[in-house]
Amino acid sequence: MEYTIFQVALVFIVTFVAAIDQFNFLESLYQPIVTGAVIGLILGDLNTGLLVGGTYQLMTIGNMPIGGAQPPNAVIGGIMAAILAIATGLEPNAAVGLAIPFALLGQLGVTLVFTLMSPLMSSADNMAHNADTKGIERLNYFAMALLGLIFAVVVTLFFIAGATIGQTIASAIPTWLQTGLSAAGGMMRFVGFAVLLKVMMNRDMWGFFFMGFGLALITVANDSLATPALLILALIGFGIAFWDFQQQTELKGAAVSDGGDFEDGI
Amino acid sequence: MASNEYVIPEHYEDLTPAPQLDQKTLNKMAWRSCFLQASFNYERMQAAGWLYSIIPGLEKIHTNKNDLAASMSHNLEFFNTHPFLVTFVMGIVLSLEQNKVDIPTIRAVRVAAMGPLGGIGDALFWLTLVPITAGITSNMAINGNAAAPIIFLVIFNVVQFALRFWLMNWSYKLGTSAIDALTANMQAFTRAASIMGVFVVGCLVVTMGGTQINLQIPNGTTRGLSATTVIVSEKEAENFTGMEGIDTETAEAGTIAMTDEDGNALTASDADGNAVECGVTDLGNGMESVTYGTVTEDPVNFSVADTLNTIVPKLVPLMLTLLLYYMFAKHSWTPTKGILLLFVLGILGAGPLGLWPSIW
Repeated sequence: MEYTIFQVALVFIVTFVAAIDQFNFLESLYQPIVTGAVIGLILGDLNTGLLVGGTYQLMTIGNMPIGGAQPPNAVIGGIMAAILAIATGLEPNAAVGLAIPFALLGQLGVTLVFTLMSPLMSSADNMAHNADTKGIERLNYFAMALLGLIFAVVVTLFFIAGATIGQTIASAIPTWLQTGLSAAGGMMRFVGFAVLLKVMMNRDMWGFFFMGFGLALITVANDSLATPALLILALIGFGIAFWDFQQQTELKGAAVSDGGDFEDGI
Repeated sequence: MASNEYVIPEHYEDLTPAPQLDQKTLNKMAWRSCFLQASFNYERMQAAGWLYSIIPGLEKIHTNKNDLAASMSHNLEFFNTHPFLVTFVMGIVLSLEQNKVDIPTIRAVRVAAMGPLGGIGDALFWLTLVPITAGITSNMAINGNAAAPIIFLVIFNVVQFALRFWLMNWSYKLGTSAIDALTANMQAFTRAASIMGVFVVGCLVVTMGGTQINLQIPNGTTRGLSATTVIVSEKEAENFTGMEGIDTETAEAGTIAMTDEDGNALTASDADGNAVECGVTDLGNGMESVTYGTVTEDPVNFSVADTLNTIVPKLVPLMLTLLLYYMFAKHSWTPTKGILLLFVLGILGAGPLGLWPSIW
């Protein structure tokens, strides 16, 4: 598959924006569900882009920058998965699996950038001591542009290389490896789930986890509820959480009420 | 401190409270808060981005240049909070700055406010809003719905910006008392958010977990007799009636017979599974209807998936999630290690180099 200069430039710009957006700005443009569709549009295959974006997004759910941890980079991973799927015609799950090494590389890159950015802080100190507000602003803009540029250059290089050798790679991958990658890609979401559990789980909360599991099994068994299942379940979950919140705050009684303003006589 | 000569003072020089910040400045800072992590680094984390965000307010409050320098310097200390809830800290800190409170107090409040917000923000955004909206819209995208990314962006950003601007205004008005209001219900709130979170994760295991062991284990064979009825002439019918009786348990597959070893008529099953007795019926026109049985031998497969589903559907996703949780929580595994484990599992399960059959 050959790409025009125009397409290469667009991929560069999309990556530049997404790289900055992963920590700043809307912090949602970079999500694979968005970048997948955008890359699909650029490369003329929106449908595959949507499919891969959605598949990759499921993997990253929960695999988010929680508590300052750096997950495998969703910007590089999501964009590369879409590029690989469209360029090589790989099945979406397999493309996601194949993109993981790129995501891990991106994770390493981000860690590196965050480390290299540390020395900048001493020059920021000097600016602050001199009340140099413009200097602080420039420093922040510079740091953002640097991050965007590094990502954009790397992805564009992969993209150009992928455009010419992608097909060769795809045909060279044996079936068992494709099946394996596909299965691994489909399982990656469990990492995200487990990380979420680790952050939130207390001893006394396992019941709520299994309740969600059980209710979801019942809900998805009904075909007509399969699509809105998560929303329905979220409503139930909200009800339970809200009820617990009321129980907790009312038990604490007066200690809580001085935070809010209650009307007299109630 | 990195700088040797500069010492951050304890008090501002100009102790007259500054006038209230106008709405325009507050909005400007709420907008700037989107770039909190612009210069994120491992030494001070969001410090420089935090300072960048509140500069418009600080410039209005500290008209004395030395005070501005002091304020900027202490606001460049280590800072890390949740990027979507940062405006809450901004409002409080700015209300203190405006009243020219002692710098150590401002510092203490800033540190006290930034910590707990991390947990709440994670619970609210990464653990609730994103899994639910992205979960629903991902399924839409996989079904080829081009509106999915747009719906995701709209929902996420409406919530995000509503929170950013509302928290900015609310906490600026409440000032220090807001911290008490928040901490009073903090534990209950975090707990409720976590309950909702683990509940949703339990649901996600079912709705998103597609992993299944599609392995079929050969489990012997079943033997049977399938009935065939043919209409033949009387003469030809003798070929059938003259056949030897067989032992259906040992005869080779494909053997044709009408009687067992003892000469009793066999009972075979026809195409619909009904039992039919083998034998010959005279049709009266010189033709006879002959029903005979053919010994069949079909391989039986034991489906791992079906068996697991009788225990509980989605058992494999549940087990994988719990296994990973166990490794993360009890053995301090990093997520990357978990990813590598699944990679190995996926490839080993697929039967690398055709060494064994794929289980996927």
